[in-house]
Amino acid sequence: MYAVFHPPNFAAQVAAKQRPELRKRAFALVDGEPPAEVVITANQAARTAGAEAGMTKLQAETIPGVAVVRRIPEDEASALAVLHTVACMFSPRIESVENAPGTYALDIRGMSGLFGDEAQLANKLRQRIMAAGFLANVAVVQNFDAAVCLARGRDRISVVPPGHEANALRDLPLHVLNPTAEQAETFHAWGIRTCGQLAALAETDLISRVGQVGKRLHLLARGAAPHLMFPLEPSFEESLAERMELDFPVEMLEPLLFLLARMTDTLLERVKSKALAIALLRVVLHLDRGKEHERIVRPALPLEDKPTLLKLLQLDLETHPPSATILKLELYAQSAAPYRAQHGLFLPQAPEPGRLEILLARLRKLLGEERVGSVELKDDHRPNAFRMVPFAPPAPKQSEQPSFSVATALRVCRPPQAVSVALVEDAPVRVFWEGQRYVVHEIAGPWRVSGQWWSEANWCREEWDVRLKAESAERVCRIAFDPRSRCWYVQGTYD
Amino acid sequence: MPSSAAIRLQVETTLANRVPAALTLKIKQAPELFATGIAEVDAVLNGGIPRGCITEIAGAASTGKTSFGLSAVAAITQSGAACAWVDVSDALSPESAAAAGVELKRLLWLRASAERQQKITSKPWSRLEQALKATDLLLQAGGFAAIVLDMSDVLPQHATRIPLSTWYRYRLSAEQARTAVLLLTQTPCANSCAALSLRSEPAHVRPFNSNGETALYEGQRYTLVRERNRNEGSMIHQKKPPMRAEWPAETLWSRVR
Repeated sequence: MYAVFHPPNFAAQVAAKQRPELRKRAFALVDGEPPAEVVITANQAARTAGAEAGMTKLQAETIPGVAVVRRIPEDEASALAVLHTVACMFSPRIESVENAPGTYALDIRGMSGLFGDEAQLANKLRQRIMAAGFLANVAVVQNFDAAVCLARGRDRISVVPPGHEANALRDLPLHVLNPTAEQAETFHAWGIRTCGQLAALAETDLISRVGQVGKRLHLLARGAAPHLMFPLEPSFEESLAERMELDFPVEMLEPLLFLLARMTDTLLERVKSKALAIALLRVVLHLDRGKEHERIVRPALPLEDKPTLLKLLQLDLETHPPSATILKLELYAQSAAPYRAQHGLFLPQAPEPGRLEILLARLRKLLGEERVGSVELKDDHRPNAFRMVPFAPPAPKQSEQPSFSVATALRVCRPPQAVSVALVEDAPVRVFWEGQRYVVHEIAGPWRVSGQWWSEANWCREEWDVRLKAESAERVCRIAFDPRSRCWYVQGTYD
Repeated sequence: MPSSAAIRLQVETTLANRVPAALTLKIKQAPELFATGIAEVDAVLNGGIPRGCITEIAGAASTGKTSFGLSAVAAITQSGAACAWVDVSDALSPESAAAAGVELKRLLWLRASAERQQKITSKPWSRLEQALKATDLLLQAGGFAAIVLDMSDVLPQHATRIPLSTWYRYRLSAEQARTAVLLLTQTPCANSCAALSLRSEPAHVRPFNSNGETALYEGQRYTLVRERNRNEGSMIHQKKPPMRAEWPAETLWSRVR
């Protein structure tokens, strides 16, 4: 059994959905390169007023009361993605019908356990499509092509029991079979107006007059055309994209956030329908003078919470604002399995992932990008070589580490502070640091360290551990001598 | 004439909708304690530093404040909880942290920087301000078992100018978030907001060449003096003498011997 849904006048429906002000007006959609733009479709009111497909833009504009609107292919692609998601909810095997944008055929064998009988399924399917903002006709027939013809030719829901296809198609006009203009003219000349009349003709006679294509049309009219289904295997990730072109250039971030909220919502709905979460959001802002501003927000854990994602986007865009006014925005998402973790019964062992992301974004804004995170030691001989990595605490787990004695911590001077040193027999005896005169009370060293001698970044120094005493203070420090710059500096204080 | 108990009951009943138990003293639960990983210090602190309170450690340079802080953070991260280190002077050495046994993945390191606000780089205010704001954000977010606010290199004249309201706010937030706030300073500045106040001092000096002919810095002994412990269930009027703990800290290379 196949269920086919067909949103009639798809392009016009999309235009009305995206621009609510068009809903109560007569409008015609135009497409093509200016000035050779032609009307591709029009809504019911515009058709009544005289607009029809194939007119030039100028002709359409002369009809009073009809608004002429340019078609936006991005909106249609986005609407198709919505319909595709709806279709995927009802069957794993779906096929997009050729020559009818927005029309999908679903193989519903074995779906009765989930959605009830055919009529119930058709009803639920239509309601889902209407909830997504589209009007559609639904047909449930055993034959694939018969279902397509019925959905295109009959309003609302049609359910045809097996074996009654020809009967159901009998009264449908011939255009549902999608004949070429020439064939349609021939049939019109013969006085054939409906599928039933075409089916009543003898097959061999029809073939002898219109050729082999007549056989196929005859089979279609009888509802007996064979069809091999090629189910779509769409890339779900590719469908996670939203685009919007702005009527007026936007400078401020606040109005942009309203649009981003709507787009994030749509993406989240799509992702949630597959029980997934958003692992990455990529915003592409098309700016004035052809520039592009791209930002990637990558939460440490996949999120399915709209306010959190939106706050992250806001903080990121505030930290890295675009350099010019925004003309168009695109939002891409990447999905991943949502994060699950067992926390403490009464107290959280670690910050909540969503709140942590926002906290980190706020801290990055306050302190700087490279100054917030976890630290990772580098495999390097240079003392204190490290890199900052994003803070993502692993799941709470107790770890047993071998118990050593307490380690003396070194407080590092970043950058190292230059000091004056008085030497006796190549060993420091006095240190002048921050306006204070320290006497070297005890000394250990020198420890000669060097590295990366093979490259430009080679380094070497002599390190000394010294106990310094002034009148009132005493401190243990590590001082170093750089033989290349012949400069002494304090590396840090033991504390 | 109604007895005081009756008046009290009457007042409490009238205010019951607005303030529950207005005239009854709130029974304070003994706070949960985090072991610091130093047995000598834990013995003096009756188990460790309190959760949901401010612990202040004041002392001059080279008196073991950072070593103590890292040891406490190491013990907490090893229990599986997350910690944060707010570094006013950007002085934390990741090598020292790793040597102390800190699980680096569970430690959020916030490094205040002077470059963010070019105009006032000569003063420590930009760094301090950033660090205080960051601590505020961390406490509001919650979920961190301990937050170390490292102001060891901030001069006393600057640290004492931090408004007392900041510490009051931290105390309340720490209590609500059940976070242990560890404050490392040169001079006490949180005053009465700190539930536990410690003073760090150097203990007796171990000479560099104590273990052989080659002079080598192998470690230090420090003293931690308990000045005040608010959570101690002792008599208020009897002033207890401060208790001291002496503890050793060793350098990495001395472990190899």
